[in-house]
Amino acid sequence: MSRFIATSAIRGAHAVIADAEATLKDALQKMGPETPVAFTSTSYFLPVIFGFTGQKITKLGDMPAALQNARSLLPPVPRDNLWLPYLGETLDAGVATLFAEEIIEGIRFAKGQQPEQYNGHKLNGPIDDVQMRSWGIQMVDGRMPGFAAIVGAAKSNEVAVEIVRQLQSRGQLVFLCSQSNGRSIIDQLRESGVDLGYDTFTVTFGTDTYSAVYALGYATRAALSFGNVAAGDIRKILLYNKFRCFAFVLALGQVDDVKYATAAGAINYGFPVIADTVIPNILPSGVTRYAHVVSLPFDDLPGKDDIEKAQRLVQSCVEIRGIKIKIAQVPIPVAYGPAFEGEVVRRENLRIEYGGKGSMCFELLTTKNLDEVEDGKITVVGPEIDAVPDGAKVPLGIVIEVAGRKMQTDFEPVLERQIHHFINGAEGIQHIGQRDIAWLRFSKSAVNKGFRLKHLGDILHANYHNHFGAIVDKVQITLYSDPEKVKQLMEKARPIYSERNIRTAGLTDEAVDTFYSCSLCQSFAPTHICVINPERVGLCGAYNWLDCRASYEINPTGPNKPVAKGRVIDAAKGEWEGVNKFVYETTQMKTDRFTLYSIMDQPMTTCGCCECVMALLPECNGFMLVSRDDYGMTPCGMTFTTLMGTVGGGLQTPGMMGVGKYYLLSKKFISAEGGIRRVVWMSKNLKESMEEELKAVCEREGVPDLLDKIGDGSVATTVEDLLPFLEKKGHPALTMAPLI
Amino acid sequence: MPVEVPVEKWAGKVNEVTLGGNGRKSIVIGGETTLPFLKIDGAMPHRPAIAVEVDDVMPADWSPHLIAAWGDALKDPAVWAKKAAEYGADIIVLTLDSAHPERGNTGAAEAKKTVEKVLAAVDLPVIIIGPDVAEKDNEVLIAASSVGRGQRLALGNCVDKNYRSVAAACIADGHVAIAKTPIDINLAKQLNILICDIGLAPDAILMDPTTGGLGYGIEYTYSVMERLRLAALIGDKMTSMPMICDVGEESWRQKEARATSGVPATWGDHQERALAWEGITGVSLLNSGADIVVLQHPRTIALIKDAISKLMA
Repeated sequence: MSRFIATSAIRGAHAVIADAEATLKDALQKMGPETPVAFTSTSYFLPVIFGFTGQKITKLGDMPAALQNARSLLPPVPRDNLWLPYLGETLDAGVATLFAEEIIEGIRFAKGQQPEQYNGHKLNGPIDDVQMRSWGIQMVDGRMPGFAAIVGAAKSNEVAVEIVRQLQSRGQLVFLCSQSNGRSIIDQLRESGVDLGYDTFTVTFGTDTYSAVYALGYATRAALSFGNVAAGDIRKILLYNKFRCFAFVLALGQVDDVKYATAAGAINYGFPVIADTVIPNILPSGVTRYAHVVSLPFDDLPGKDDIEKAQRLVQSCVEIRGIKIKIAQVPIPVAYGPAFEGEVVRRENLRIEYGGKGSMCFELLTTKNLDEVEDGKITVVGPEIDAVPDGAKVPLGIVIEVAGRKMQTDFEPVLERQIHHFINGAEGIQHIGQRDIAWLRFSKSAVNKGFRLKHLGDILHANYHNHFGAIVDKVQITLYSDPEKVKQLMEKARPIYSERNIRTAGLTDEAVDTFYSCSLCQSFAPTHICVINPERVGLCGAYNWLDCRASYEINPTGPNKPVAKGRVIDAAKGEWEGVNKFVYETTQMKTDRFTLYSIMDQPMTTCGCCECVMALLPECNGFMLVSRDDYGMTPCGMTFTTLMGTVGGGLQTPGMMGVGKYYLLSKKFISAEGGIRRVVWMSKNLKESMEEELKAVCEREGVPDLLDKIGDGSVATTVEDLLPFLEKKGHPALTMAPLI
Repeated sequence: MPVEVPVEKWAGKVNEVTLGGNGRKSIVIGGETTLPFLKIDGAMPHRPAIAVEVDDVMPADWSPHLIAAWGDALKDPAVWAKKAAEYGADIIVLTLDSAHPERGNTGAAEAKKTVEKVLAAVDLPVIIIGPDVAEKDNEVLIAASSVGRGQRLALGNCVDKNYRSVAAACIADGHVAIAKTPIDINLAKQLNILICDIGLAPDAILMDPTTGGLGYGIEYTYSVMERLRLAALIGDKMTSMPMICDVGEESWRQKEARATSGVPATWGDHQERALAWEGITGVSLLNSGADIVVLQHPRTIALIKDAISKLMA
């Protein structure tokens, strides 16, 4: 907490309260205590006082009590030798200031001096309830993030106009009040011919700082109408505004004591204060979600002229308040939607391709600091499509840099994998592969409609905001079509990919204290739940632990929830107290224990979408594993489909379970029963398609020749045929401890 | 030999949602602590309610039997609503169909007028349904919301695309939101969570799990509803909202209710068949946990009313 700000704010609060006391005394003498007091068409009385205390002020005579209340909140002005932290006191002083300001405005209403007449115009004054409710709905449904309360005057009329335009374009309400050096932003906008009023989302409050209290009256009423909060429940009112109303104060020009005091009142609501002059910063988060007070001296802002500086100022305000961006329509010249995802661009219609055989194409998404990314910046380095002949094959590098307060490097691969899905949504554009084997094909019709490389950037920018807005605040994209650049950057990307692989491989169950659940399949298997740990993918193979973690960050009410491991019950079988509790609660109390590494003792339940089913073959002292795309008979006497009917639907069947095929490669693969050594038969196609990986696992487990000893459909489809094969090959399962 | 009846003790309870009030008749929906009509295990304090559909424009594609039954009332939603009340409706469902971009594209002003008219014509609780286009829904439902402020209407449908606006209007004007999801227990629960998260109280939410007519997925619907109800009874607060089912619309649009020619003789009389379709769909859904059934034909109103009385006895 800045001592300077605290002192100024508290000093300002003393001044405002003294003013209110004098004004009230005079009004009571001249007009009497029965004189009615009311703001414009509102049923919330003087809303800040009503919200904080529940007190309904309807006449001058009600005011002394409220003002006394304000006085009692007022801390002494810090002495020169006092060095305590002052946050609490300053916030109290802020509240006292708001009370006093509201009382002064109330008296002005009683005197007929509000809404203010100024330079021949009538200012709006406080917002009436009907308008508050209408905007409130837009605030709740997200069309309108919140409001910007602008206090003072901008550097010039042009800057004032640009600031307001920028705010309007983001759907932010603009409240205008106060002045700086005898100028008000209200003058500046009016002189520039800007239309001010409810229709343009701009509201003129007044030309002094007191009228800024109308902004907080609005915020208070929004919480009372939309937050299910009762008057007087101030904690809830303030929290509602902190988390739901994306408002901030923008102080233009010099900040005096009264402005500091009023700003301190606003900070109570979680509204940060940004000044375009040099003032101390209060950067730690706390009462506000991020920084409390930020100084962005206008002339020091980046930008080639004042207009750009103004744009940057608003962009920074938006970031400081944490306002998220939504892009309703992907701005590209071709149709966009899931219908085009499976589309293939055939040779006859091929205009240009990037990557593929004999060429290069890579895509890389990395995290940067918030100040290193310019949101929406899309750059093409190298030739655009127009410069390239029909049917040409060109190299491409898609480099995406994202920044976000909740972004984690672990999410990079999760986000990067979405490129495929995002780009394929565009009509006439085909995307295949990922990382350094990506391959894009643009159709003639898409290019004829005006689709260019840079539109890939538009697609990605819009989609990352819309789908991952919870973790991504800013996205910039660079598209490299210059062969030298692509080559150079691809070489730099490769170590990043391999580092990610290593990190994923190195993620162990022991290293984390939280697993994630997946309840997606409960729609058809209501008593099934997946618990996904770093060393075991979901049985559908589609979700790993990192995916679930990212999914939870993005959509906390969605199908993936954190599961605290809790106390270990059995480390070898992979049983935890926390997991059991969670499983019990989420399987409609049908399953009360779950082991993660055992198939014989309380294995995981199975839904209906597992990649593979495992089943015990008692005669072989091991397990068989059949994959979904193997239609043949298996040694247990059942095909995949029949097995699925036995094991699926949320059942827990000791000796049988569904698994994702990559679980086979995990160190935790049925480790309670002895791991891969227990596999005596598996589908031939699986054995072949995963040969390299399986060989590596066998080697790691100390049985390098195991793969040759595992039977498949070409060797046996009955136990009678399988057993002699295993004996001949000397399969290790036969000599392991009996399973039954 | 005495037989001991096994009694299930449920921990949960379906929320009680009040519609109407403030000068208008009020009705309480939900409140069950047992599966439908199974009084051994718990209580069913309120009868399931019968709601009757009233459209703001004459329906273009309705069966001649429906048109004959309602007659000229179809031309004026206020008259129609009055007639529905006479036939025994507990609730009026006003559908602002004319706001659909392809069926008139009327806006907030027309919606306000229609809602005012219907509210003035009947003293029953009223449900307002938009034209099922998220953007237009927002426009007309928010207008309807302000007209009916304080009368605790139900506004629908809240779907994943527009739930925020509709829920916000419900909070601002004291209404109940209808959360509609496509036959999926997870989605239903998630939408309830999201709506509560905005700040609407759980007892101001009804859910429409989306239903199919008899022969058109009713068994799937039945099972999803049953599971939602079981989850509520087990104690899951986010599935404890009473359910509303659009029985009339789903039944009357099916082939069996529409086809008049080229069907086997054994299908029988067209009108009786169509009525049976609506009736059986309605009774089935009541048995799977519906708290409000929305009907279209006057005769079905009587039929379902009778069925409810017998099941409640």
